[in-house]
Amino acid sequence: MKTVEKIVNPVKRAGEQSPGKIYDEKLKVRARREWRGLKDTLYDYTRWLYLMSVLGRFIIVPRNVKGFFRYRWMMSYLFVPHGMDKFTIGLRDEALRIAHTSFNFVIADVTQAIANCFRGDRRVGNDKAYSDKCVITDENSMVTFMMGFDRDKVHTILREVPTMFASNIFHQFNVMHYLDIAQQYGIPGDVCPMPEAEAGISIDDDFCVLGCCAVQNNTTCDGSLMGNGIIAKRLEREYGIPTFQLATPLRHKEPDVMDYAAREIKKAIAFVEEHTGEHWDWDRYFAAAKRVNDATRCRIAQLEINSTPYPQFFGAAFSLYNDTNYMGNSGRDPKFVDIDHKLLKLAEQGYREKRMYAKEYRHRCIVWGVQPQYTIDMLYWLVQCWGVMPLADMLSIINTDMIADEDTPANREQAYRDMAMLNMEMIMRNHTHGGYKVLLDDLWELCEKMNADMVMMWEHMSCKALTGMHGMFEEQARERGIHIMWVSHDLCDPRVFTRQAIRDQVNQYMRTVMREEPLDPSIEIVPDNEAY
Amino acid sequence: MKNKVLKAIGKLLFKLVIAGAAFFVITFTVYMFNLDMKATAMLAPFLEKWYDKLPHNQYI
Repeated sequence: MKTVEKIVNPVKRAGEQSPGKIYDEKLKVRARREWRGLKDTLYDYTRWLYLMSVLGRFIIVPRNVKGFFRYRWMMSYLFVPHGMDKFTIGLRDEALRIAHTSFNFVIADVTQAIANCFRGDRRVGNDKAYSDKCVITDENSMVTFMMGFDRDKVHTILREVPTMFASNIFHQFNVMHYLDIAQQYGIPGDVCPMPEAEAGISIDDDFCVLGCCAVQNNTTCDGSLMGNGIIAKRLEREYGIPTFQLATPLRHKEPDVMDYAAREIKKAIAFVEEHTGEHWDWDRYFAAAKRVNDATRCRIAQLEINSTPYPQFFGAAFSLYNDTNYMGNSGRDPKFVDIDHKLLKLAEQGYREKRMYAKEYRHRCIVWGVQPQYTIDMLYWLVQCWGVMPLADMLSIINTDMIADEDTPANREQAYRDMAMLNMEMIMRNHTHGGYKVLLDDLWELCEKMNADMVMMWEHMSCKALTGMHGMFEEQARERGIHIMWVSHDLCDPRVFTRQAIRDQVNQYMRTVMREEPLDPSIEIVPDNEAY
Repeated sequence: MKNKVLKAIGKLLFKLVIAGAAFFVITFTVYMFNLDMKATAMLAPFLEKWYDKLPHNQYI
């Protein structure tokens, strides 16, 4: 089997040595916050103050209070600091700053998204003039078709992000209510709980209602298509919001689909122009394209640092930041550029200082498959408890090609193909669809490039896109001498696999197959199954 | 006159330092002992009951 050199951290960690003491099974939150040494605790405290100020500024607006008491999913946002604590366990120095810089920015972005939803919502703010310039899009969808519109005049509302996806990050039980509603109305329980919860929110009439039109995407799976159908029916027939279906080819590695995919993008843009009355601006598009390329260069540089013995930007924060920047932003917001460069600067500094974030790094691991690491502090736990360093995850392995960013007649035609390419290769779809090349071959290439000896394979019980490949993964990992650790879960339904049931699969693998003992036995079992 | 102004500035600075120190001690205690999230966790069951009572136009 492939082995990697074990690296022992020569520096003793500042503050307490194990985060095990901060958990208490009688509580639904942590007993206290981690003592990280004076400097890092004070830093973490100032970031907590910042988060409190973000939440405070949000809730002093009367319509946001009204929205808070109208929508059940809003309760999750009371637990934002709790969610942030999940993504910083055991972190010090640059990694702590990277996690805060990236995830605090995501939180501020989501808070703004909620405020925008409430402003236009017919039940809450009911700002009709604003709502008439809003375009609703899916949660799991690239917004490249909005890159050429003026952000001050046409507002892109990723309505499902704050309602379902982000709310589930902070409160693991919050979507169970919507899953139950969907199943009461006959949706089978073996569908992916993410689109099922979104369908449940629509059935329960718990989405904000706003916008002059909506664009839906055939995102990643049968569950997404099912959910979109239910949501579109309510949007169009009850609320009179016309909905465009952006039908994107799934075989995105086949060049013959490109003309069709580019035509779909043109149609989506024409649809938005028709309903908002605003026009596509090529100057805006190419400015956004430059920012997309800049973000791509920064992401490649971060992955290069992670391919060295001293990875810096890792875990759920890496994945969530990439999701937000690549898919939800797509170069439209210039603020991401500064954050990208700040994160890269911190990572380079950490690499120069050879910073490590556990006592030892024993294995170098690629995280693959449909991942639930947002509702659980899994990837940080993995490195703290077992010394298994997660180098990259499937959702962060996205486009690395530069797109045309100079305004020329030829590039205007190329731009539709670039938008189509980004749309086809959006997060999730780029690896779960497109054949075994993108799901298997890409994984082994990544293992080679990142010098990984282990793959943590998330096995999502309700994901039909990946379950058929189980045997091929096993066979090909064996051929290459890669350790493959299967970890089952059911995404955002913690009733199927609790947090500890997920961790136990790693514990068993590491003890029985790898014959290893944990680096930190105090967190092998964490009493947080009932915690938010 | 100058002394009076200096005294007033000194008093103001003293008050600001005391207020800042009190703010730090209170908020740092809340932060360190996770009192913010503990209070929120106590509030959550009441909020759930509130949301359960809201009428919803459910259909598929």
